[in-house]
Amino acid sequence: MNSRVIGSYTSDRWKTARPVQRISPGVRTGARCLVVACLLVLAAEGWLPRASGLQGDGGPSFGRAIRPVLSRCLACHGPDEEARQADLRLDLFDAATADRGGYRAIEPGGAAKSELLARVTSGDPDVVMPPPSHGPPLSEAETRLLREWIDAGAKYDEHWAWRAPPRPGVPADPAGWANGAVDSFVAERMIAAGLQPNPPAGRAALLRRLALDLTGLPPTLEQLDAFLADSAPDAIGQQIDRYLADPAFGERWAAVWLDLARYADSQGYSSDELRTIWAWRDYVIRSLNDNKPFDRFTIEQIAGDLLPDATDETRIATAFHRNTLTNTEGGTDDEEFRSVAVVDRVNTTMAVWMGTTMACAQCHTHKYDPITQAEYFGLYAIFNQTTDTDRADDSPRLMVFEPETQARREELASELGTLDLRIEANQKRQLELGAELERLGPTVNVPVMEELPDADQRETHVHLRGNHLTPGERVEPGTPAVFHSLPAGVKADRLALAQWLVSRDNPLTARVMVNRVWEQLFGAGLVTTVEDFGSQGTPPSHPKLLDWLAVEFMESGWDLKHLIRIIVSSATWQQSSKAEPAKLAADPENRWLARGPRVRLTAEMVRDQALAVSGLLDRKLYGPPVHPPKPDLGLRLAFSDKTTDWTASEGGDRYRRAIYTELRRSMPYPAMATFDCPNREVTELRRIATNTPLQALVTLNDPVFVEAAQALAREMMTEAGTVERDAILRHGWRLGFAREPSTDEVAVTTGLFEQSLSRFNQDLPSAMELAGLAAKEVAEEELPRAAAWVVVANAILNLDETFQKR
Amino acid sequence: MNPKSGPPDRLACHGHSTRRHFLHAGPLALGGMFFASQAAQAGAWPIRRAAGSAPAADNPLAPRAPHFAARAKQVVFIHLVGAPPNLDLFDFKPELQRRDGEDCPASFLEGKRFAFTTGVPKLLGSPRKFAQHGEAGMWFSDALQQLPGLADELCVVHSMHTEQFNHAPAQLFLLSGSPRSGRPSFGSWVTWGLGSENQNLPGFVALISGGTTLDAGKNAWGSGFLPSVYQGVQCRTVGDPVLYLADPPGMSRELRRESIDAINRLNQIQHDELGGPETATRIAQYELAFRMQMEVPEVMDIGRETAETHAAYGAQPGASSFANNCLLARRLVEADVRFVQLFDWGWDYHGTNPAEDIRDGLTASCAAMERPVVALIRDLRQRGLLDSTLVIIGGEFGRTPFREGRTAEGEILGRDHYPDCFTMLMAGGGVKGGLSYGSTDELGFGITENPVHIHDFQATVMHLLGLDHKRLTYRFQGRDYRLTDVHGEVVDALLA
Repeated sequence: MNSRVIGSYTSDRWKTARPVQRISPGVRTGARCLVVACLLVLAAEGWLPRASGLQGDGGPSFGRAIRPVLSRCLACHGPDEEARQADLRLDLFDAATADRGGYRAIEPGGAAKSELLARVTSGDPDVVMPPPSHGPPLSEAETRLLREWIDAGAKYDEHWAWRAPPRPGVPADPAGWANGAVDSFVAERMIAAGLQPNPPAGRAALLRRLALDLTGLPPTLEQLDAFLADSAPDAIGQQIDRYLADPAFGERWAAVWLDLARYADSQGYSSDELRTIWAWRDYVIRSLNDNKPFDRFTIEQIAGDLLPDATDETRIATAFHRNTLTNTEGGTDDEEFRSVAVVDRVNTTMAVWMGTTMACAQCHTHKYDPITQAEYFGLYAIFNQTTDTDRADDSPRLMVFEPETQARREELASELGTLDLRIEANQKRQLELGAELERLGPTVNVPVMEELPDADQRETHVHLRGNHLTPGERVEPGTPAVFHSLPAGVKADRLALAQWLVSRDNPLTARVMVNRVWEQLFGAGLVTTVEDFGSQGTPPSHPKLLDWLAVEFMESGWDLKHLIRIIVSSATWQQSSKAEPAKLAADPENRWLARGPRVRLTAEMVRDQALAVSGLLDRKLYGPPVHPPKPDLGLRLAFSDKTTDWTASEGGDRYRRAIYTELRRSMPYPAMATFDCPNREVTELRRIATNTPLQALVTLNDPVFVEAAQALAREMMTEAGTVERDAILRHGWRLGFAREPSTDEVAVTTGLFEQSLSRFNQDLPSAMELAGLAAKEVAEEELPRAAAWVVVANAILNLDETFQKR
Repeated sequence: MNPKSGPPDRLACHGHSTRRHFLHAGPLALGGMFFASQAAQAGAWPIRRAAGSAPAADNPLAPRAPHFAARAKQVVFIHLVGAPPNLDLFDFKPELQRRDGEDCPASFLEGKRFAFTTGVPKLLGSPRKFAQHGEAGMWFSDALQQLPGLADELCVVHSMHTEQFNHAPAQLFLLSGSPRSGRPSFGSWVTWGLGSENQNLPGFVALISGGTTLDAGKNAWGSGFLPSVYQGVQCRTVGDPVLYLADPPGMSRELRRESIDAINRLNQIQHDELGGPETATRIAQYELAFRMQMEVPEVMDIGRETAETHAAYGAQPGASSFANNCLLARRLVEADVRFVQLFDWGWDYHGTNPAEDIRDGLTASCAAMERPVVALIRDLRQRGLLDSTLVIIGGEFGRTPFREGRTAEGEILGRDHYPDCFTMLMAGGGVKGGLSYGSTDELGFGITENPVHIHDFQATVMHLLGLDHKRLTYRFQGRDYRLTDVHGEVVDALLA
């Protein structure tokens, strides 16, 4: 059974059009066949409780089978009063089953009497729902499901993601394959889908996968050799612990958080001046390395300034929401852009923690999820009380000075205050003191959130049609009623909201975060729409696994490293990623996890890996943004004499990890942007990896990658400890891919080497140019060989395997 | 694989007969050129495509049929960044000239905000002389000497209006339908909807002149939430035309060919062993990269044009200029690039320096602008391309009928930003030539007839391309988005 059929019950209609049509002949010849076919699919996919069968108590599951169908009606028959047609609402049982003067849209237990069924099956274009202008008619499989469900009583359930997760029991493992709860849940669905797991990945491949996932860097040769020689049963467990403890862990996982937080080193909009906010980026890296509990991490970033025990660290954390854009273009209305920033904070918070899309509720009541515009502005009211107002200096800022610096600054300030400036010598002294003060800069300088005093707090009104200039009814701070409540008697401020986000009653935060980690490790979330857990999102492939992980995450004390350890210790994650044609055909998206992950490396990893394998990488942690070489474009910023070009950093800063590269929103670093790093103007919830020829041009020709190839060639020639061609090649392969090359690979690559060598033997000047770094300390007669190894190293850095975690 | 029996291979006439060679007989005969490796994932591409087109997971840039018959296949959008003064170029206001220097009537100022003007400013009648041109008697000022000669080709909309009066949001509004960043740009929507006819070049190219990036930054040609394969590729006339196009020093073309052959053979070995569609796609992408290395410099090399053509455009090979970009635009259209977006910086006529004076400053800017624009339109027509190519010329808003506040006391005449009315020009691809559409009041403060909102304009351009702006939607963060947000009506009167 083609698993894509099931997609027809999601919002993703076009994709599944073909498979649905393919089974439709069965409908005409025998409805029974279709029902059976559907059920098989549904049962296999877990859309129906497997035991319930056709005549189960409640009929088809509301959450998994019916809601996706009904949701097609909700734009006009949903929560939004203004858009509602015929005064009919189908998202609530009482409204949908109300007497409408002798008939009901839904007659529980009586599909034949239900107007809904009559309308969705009508052949009359004036009667049929949805109207032809609003989309294609429901498929016969969909109407069949509706009929079954209504006949079974039309039971409405709350949307799965709005109920706090229970901890599901771990299923038995008949196959004896499982290495923990994750595998038991996965095996259950895999077997139901008729699939068998792949064998485990080879040890070398496994170590590379682990190192890349946990640290964003490939394993070193020492780590590889030690692991290959380690026959202890828990050798991989030791490696997991090692990489979790590596400071590179924080850098790799911070990159994920920076996308969510829309972190950049500039203010955005037209002038896009640089902004000093990297102390917050360092806070994220440190917090991840310290394994700060995720609930604490959340509270610090949303409301670290309001904590009773607030410190510099918790105040720095609040820069999370100072990553909003600042508009310094002349003539702009600061209040307008302050309001835009507050809106962005609401949307970002709800998207990052709650997996809930709010953008539509800014202008009108949500069309699909039960969130009103007034509730949207209840959240807005919580964020509407900070002192920042789109100022060019991004104030308020937290500046921290070293104690000695602070003492000296106070001395200078007090001397300045006593100078009698009528005396000429004192005027000179004043300049000296001023200059010294300027030199004694802060060690931390970061924009922060700061609450207005109670007396100055703003009133919040609904913005009619989303426009801040047309205020509507006044609203009080609060959270949407569909979710758990704020505790009674507590002021509804950012601190209360932060605690609400990580409350054990919150149905979403843990699920959303667990799903995000899963997506990082497998390439796709258990809920593939990681950005939307609402009724329009895709349902989870493994609902019980998602809930089990969410509860485990919370009960472990929101321990992120524990969560990652559980997943990467699983047999599921450790499978070979080999994609047998039959398996690929049966499950092209690897939704049933019968093979290990194969995912394109992130933009950050592409850079970091090239520098790491070539020995160029500078592992220095933290600090101001750096400027690796990039081509001059000769462009100025709008309204400024400032160029978007930069002078490349010198020394180690040329070779730092990608996370430290200055990110200017209007002109992002080209190699990063080409590999799908967003420019971070709004929260980026899911990067979609592309595969384009422009990427090939970067890794083939960008001087940064050419230099890496030269350094890798040098490393191969010197570290292999021999001049023997094939040994040098094998060394390069181990550096690049953490494995030995096959005979065929050796044959192709030595062919390239010999071709290059013969060309360079004829053309010494070209050899010299290309060899670059590799020519250092190389005798002139060796130059052609050095250049030929650069060609090989350039190829190693461009193989598909280089770009894949697999 | 290109499913259409396309138009004759124009470049073949230039002797580049191998352009589509790889598509048919590449080493692995792979169809997919560009490829989103996660395209197949459930929910990853929640889209409603152009009618009649199959999901193209294997090649997101494959040409796709429009919703209905298109009048234009390609677009050259010339954005005069900063917003040229419509009242000194296209919209003749004799009454404003008569009342020059008078206080601006309060009724025009009520409830309005301006970027750099407060209090009661003085009306500024245009110091330019206006005359009628062409069969339809279209008005142009004497700042323009050559463009009026094309009056009968031009479709001039005097009644454009926008909602934004600062540059960055207004540019984003014009080019992405929203004043905030993060939405796909015009060219991205079009490329996403229609694909590209030439798989060896980007489908959407951005060209910048004037030495300054525009206010809206890369968003103006970004893909927003659409997959990044649909973003505009910025090409340059100095240095590598596309970033990192040139092989590293010391690497000959022959050696690059050999090295890509080796890379692809090694990838094939891995593909045979482990399977997986991404590896096959990467092999195709490296082939395409190699072909782009060949074809892009050829297309971008305006040195291949005759001296006569250089003279017509005022182009100079090796320089970076608007004229060069116009000539490039023609070459790119000829090579089947879907959407060519030009940005020319320097049209912000505040009067804060002599270059921003609506007298001599404007004359100089117009001279540099109109010669290549006129050459482009004539050149396209001569080559039979104008009927299928829509040329658009204009800024992001208009300029005030009064003097800008900061410079009101100075010698230099300038105007502030003004969103309520401005002029856009179109030519070619299915628009009515010789048409002056819409009108403004006698002082140029408001539209009196046939208003065309930015979203209407966008809907109309989409319509010309055979796309229904209401149907070309993309599901993102729980909402269906489109270029025209939830607005926009096609302006039928502009259609030929």
